[in-house]
Amino acid sequence: MNRRRFIKDTLLLAALATPVQVWKGTHSDKEVVYSTNDTLPTGQGLIDTNIHLFPYPFRELKYGDTGRLLAKLKKHNVTEAWAGSFYSLFHKNIDHINASLAEECRTKGEGMLIPFGTVNPVFPDWEEDLRRCHERHEMPGIRLYPGYHGYTLDNDHFVSLLQEASARKLLIQIAIDIQDERMQHPRVDVEAVDVTPLAEVLKDLPGARVQLINPFRHVRGERLKTMIEETDVRFEISNLDNTAAIELILKGEHPYVSSVPLPAERLLFGSHMPYFPLENGVFKFMESDLSQDEAEAIMYRNASELKEYT
Amino acid sequence: MNNRFAFNPENFGLPTREELVELRIWDLHYHGINNHETVMKYVSRMGVERVFSLDIGRLWGNSPEAETISERDRQLLRENKDNLAGLIRIDPSRVEESLERMREWIQNGPAVGIKYANRNQEDINCSHPNNDPIIELADQLGALIYIHTWILVGGEPRTIDGGMKTGESTPMDVAELAKRFPDVTLICGHQGGDWEPGIRAIRAFENVFLEFSGGDPESGAVDFAVQEMGVDRLVWGGHLPSRSYANELSKVFDADLNHEERKKIFGSNLRQIAVPIMREKGYDV
Repeated sequence: MNRRRFIKDTLLLAALATPVQVWKGTHSDKEVVYSTNDTLPTGQGLIDTNIHLFPYPFRELKYGDTGRLLAKLKKHNVTEAWAGSFYSLFHKNIDHINASLAEECRTKGEGMLIPFGTVNPVFPDWEEDLRRCHERHEMPGIRLYPGYHGYTLDNDHFVSLLQEASARKLLIQIAIDIQDERMQHPRVDVEAVDVTPLAEVLKDLPGARVQLINPFRHVRGERLKTMIEETDVRFEISNLDNTAAIELILKGEHPYVSSVPLPAERLLFGSHMPYFPLENGVFKFMESDLSQDEAEAIMYRNASELKEYT
Repeated sequence: MNNRFAFNPENFGLPTREELVELRIWDLHYHGINNHETVMKYVSRMGVERVFSLDIGRLWGNSPEAETISERDRQLLRENKDNLAGLIRIDPSRVEESLERMREWIQNGPAVGIKYANRNQEDINCSHPNNDPIIELADQLGALIYIHTWILVGGEPRTIDGGMKTGESTPMDVAELAKRFPDVTLICGHQGGDWEPGIRAIRAFENVFLEFSGGDPESGAVDFAVQEMGVDRLVWGGHLPSRSYANELSKVFDADLNHEERKKIFGSNLRQIAVPIMREKGYDV
């Protein structure tokens, strides 16, 4: 029995054993039905695939301190979080940043924080940074910031990095943006990443495991359709917006891409903490009418399976 | 559609629907009127008590399409008084027509306020003198005054507002208007987009309220607004359907507020300024 089948069977048994709780709404004739998370595997909470540690360059964030951030994650039943470093955006001594990220996760993460170092493929000897992420810091993946590091997704060095990282079975996260470009500091003009070349690049890399983080402000329409239909890229949901966003995108009825559904297996929970409130990501599951299986896939199961690949 | 949830929100640190209902949430920024029945399912699902459409009678003129939409909106307002109210759009580049619309829709009709949109026919923003007769009439009618604002970075050299489109107002424009009408309550929409300078621009003007829907949910924004303006001048909008209640609720739950302060932002503050005209229009509020 494979792991997924095992989980599904476990959930089914637990669901049969645990009656749903029912409350009556107070200002509506609609019945309110909550499933309980007793049906989740013991101890299972959310896996947040998109957080950052350390100071954001342009604002002091209220959960910028690792201790406060960790407490907030726990409050919302996040049991694992994949962490990049905000220092990655502008620092040139990348290996130092990756080492400090690994150390912060190891010493303060209480086993919850998983470091995702960065590599800039247009810097000399990026291969050594990648090697250290994998071998020295034992990271399961890397997080790339093409907009901040100054390359496009058809850059030869980027393609080489994808090849090397895939050979090492590392997950590859690509940050499409960090901040709404309309509110950037006037002295900083960072363009969102254009994913258009990625579909062609990935055709030669069938083993690559790529996740886009903060994708949905810019990966919409034909770009999103192409990513869905021609790649196996996964999508983090923190900026998947619109009323009932998850529900509609699963049905292929979302305004971002109304011609094709985005399967639940391709979506991963992420909060973009501490830049966004954690509540934003979690409320999405309340706003959308989802089956428990769909919700659990996005909340933790897809991330868990993706990480098992490494 | 039952309000079926895949998990109990409490188990993930969220309020239950019942707790959202108890907050008595009034949504001042609703764009769902063209798909009203469907969007309202999610309004109900998330326990929001009332929405204010900012698109009432949206099409101007006497075309058959405009008349159809106007009649539809009148009917929706008439039949959904328990959870829907509406504001009409005015255009400061068409002053006489705007005044006429205000008489038709507010003085003699069901609407309870006016909205300045992000563009208009001749690119007149809200600080222009053209606005004075509009604000004066709105004041006489006791109408809500909602002003879309944004601060768009850009230009050469780049500045915080160098990318503004002509006709789109900034919080700085609202501040100018507020100086001329210190006794009229103005609602500065979207917190100016770029909320750090936006809130700074209006904080000194006690007659200016802040609504903060529409942008990304940046952590700390509501804390900053409360710190600079106080909790009594903030009102809440959901911006459905192009934004989500997830996005907009999270801004308030991110902030360090007690229950009563949340209730003020989610509804009590808006009720303070909206209830008089709503009662005139026959709303049971």
